[in-house]
Amino acid sequence: MAFKDRVVPTIRIGDALLVPIQIDLDDKTVERLQTQLLEEIQEHRVRAVILDVRMVEVIDSYISYTLSETAAMAHLMGCRTVICGIQPPVALTLAQMGIELQGFLVARDLEHAMGLVY
Amino acid sequence: MDGKLRELLDISENDFDVVVRITREEDIAIARQMAKQLAQELGFSLADVTKVATAVSELARNIYRYAQTGKIMIRKRLEESGGPTIQVVAADRGPGIESVDRVLARGYTTHERSLGIGLPGVRRLMDFCEIASKVGTGTVVRVEKRRRKF
Repeated sequence: MAFKDRVVPTIRIGDALLVPIQIDLDDKTVERLQTQLLEEIQEHRVRAVILDVRMVEVIDSYISYTLSETAAMAHLMGCRTVICGIQPPVALTLAQMGIELQGFLVARDLEHAMGLVY
Repeated sequence: MDGKLRELLDISENDFDVVVRITREEDIAIARQMAKQLAQELGFSLADVTKVATAVSELARNIYRYAQTGKIMIRKRLEESGGPTIQVVAADRGPGIESVDRVLARGYTTHERSLGIGLPGVRRLMDFCEIASKVGTGTVVRVEKRRRKF
């Protein structure tokens, strides 16, 4: 995948693809991220994708819907998805709205996420 | 209900600190950002700033998705009896909602890429939530959140 097409720069660590999201996720961005990740899963044949959302300040229903959908698609391609670093205010908001982030393994931080993958 | 909707659709923009017109998808993020800023200015906790920003994101998306255009109006109220309050009005002249009770029930949606948790979520995140809508006329959602004392 051409570098310019990437919404988020990714890092390959062994069989895993690390995706540190350090931008504000709007609807278009999260849709493009979905396309990018599916292409990268196929291209690099990784067995896990780790989404690090430490820097993400708002996750609303559509963003969570699209991320969960991405995890479901990755699963169909034989790849696990771990989400880590959800900030306390974001966790509070998601819980209050009753959003469950289905399809993800959830980790506290990157180290925990790597532990879940290997 | 009809009178209420008309009254809310006619609210003057001049009474608000910020008005964000929703015409493009990017405007959802702008509305969210403005709500966040105003909640911060009122001294809201980080948790409540996030809740307000998330609620506004849902309201702006609903405008864009179902009415295509509309506006988000936000104001700070310092003199409210319950303490400093942020008020948000999301107004559109779109297709309207057939049954407000139904959209407030979790899991109801007419959109394929949705779980039907937006509006019920907004109501949970905010202290006050009022919806006035009429098919063919439009929809107005008015929400409020007070600053918590610590």
